[in-house]
Amino acid sequence: MHELGIMFEVIKRVEAVAKQHQVDRVEKIVLQVGEIATVIPHFLRECYPVAVDRTDFVDTELVIEMIPANGCCRQCDIVYHLMKDEGRCPNCHQMNFDELSGREFSIKEIVVAEGGKNGSSPNY
Amino acid sequence: MDQVRIIEIKEGVFEQNNQKAQELRDSLKQEKVFLLNLMSAPGSGKTTTLVQTIKGLQDEMKIGIMEADIDSDVDARTIQQTGARVVQLHTGGMCHLDAEMTRQGIDALGREDLDLIVLENVGNLVCPAEFDTGSTKNAMILSVPEGDDKPLKYPLMFAVADVVLVNKMDVAEHFDFDLERFKDNVRLRNPEAIILPISARTGEGMEPWLDWLRQQIERQQ
Ligand SMILES: Nc1nc2c(ncn2[C@@H]2O[C@H](COP(=O)(O)OP(=O)(O)O)[C@@H](O)[C@H]2O)c(=O)[nH]1
Ligand SMILES: [Mg+2]
Ligand SMILES: [Zn+2]
Repeated sequence: MHELGIMFEVIKRVEAVAKQHQVDRVEKIVLQVGEIATVIPHFLRECYPVAVDRTDFVDTELVIEMIPANGCCRQCDIVYHLMKDEGRCPNCHQMNFDELSGREFSIKEIVVAEGGKNGSSPNY
Repeated sequence: MDQVRIIEIKEGVFEQNNQKAQELRDSLKQEKVFLLNLMSAPGSGKTTTLVQTIKGLQDEMKIGIMEADIDSDVDARTIQQTGARVVQLHTGGMCHLDAEMTRQGIDALGREDLDLIVLENVGNLVCPAEFDTGSTKNAMILSVPEGDDKPLKYPLMFAVADVVLVNKMDVAEHFDFDLERFKDNVRLRNPEAIILPISARTGEGMEPWLDWLRQQIERQQ
């Protein structure tokens, strides 16, 4: 399992972006993970609290958007969802496809708040 | 009320590592140093194979070894006895090395006078395959007791390997291991992989492996 190391990398990158944009507070970190990516969302979520421990992101929410794994049948030229029916084409029932999506793993965006220094400080 | 806004990043998490890896690979090429990333499950024979490899090549070239096996220096000491230069990398329980850690290791080792650097990666068949270390080539070891169906279970590892060493051939008769079936399974994932049966214990089959390394190192010169 390497999700912890990866999560540290993600946090480092977010930290750099936040600094570059002089952000007061990051409310959400949004990741995109493909259904057949080699990182598992469940483990990412489990590692997250450890990775943000003693950083500015302890109160930041982690959002993971799933990207469906789609393939295109080489024979029928139709696009279908690979997670159903063992990845067989709904038309010819073969497993002869080009992978179109599903292995993504990226930092999509961060949602930031400007004004207060942290969640508990008063805003006017 | 706070102003909320969205900062788009849209970056693959592995992209930064890939970039650093490529930079390292390029700089090693310029300096004529060949970096081999050696991967396998724990106990498949990385250290034993390395000792044999050093013995076979150390009269012809200067070799440095980076040991990344999980926070113990047993392997590093074994290697040190061969006379090769060695550094122990402390990965802090990480299951793989990335390009940045590899570069730091190389800096600690010192690369100027070396022809060949081998990174003994963390014993693991999953995670190291996903991180480009910046190596010139990747080799992986599969030992006979692990079974000939491993390429089906760990496709990525076999896909990124330039060479697959099949180790512990000396005990093959005691296992239900079919070398031809294994080769077929590897080729399903990686038609170009070079597959070499060896025994790091007896030294059997080492010569084709050493020749492959010699060729690669020459190409880097
Ligand atoms: N029978 C046999 N045992 C081997 C061979 N190569 C390594 N071993 C043994 O396998 C164990 C693990 O080897 P080691 O090199 O430490 O594996 P590593 O964890 O991949 O570095 C040790 O007990 C070695 O003596 C081989 O070719 N044949
Ligand atoms: Mg070892
Ligand atoms: Zn079809």
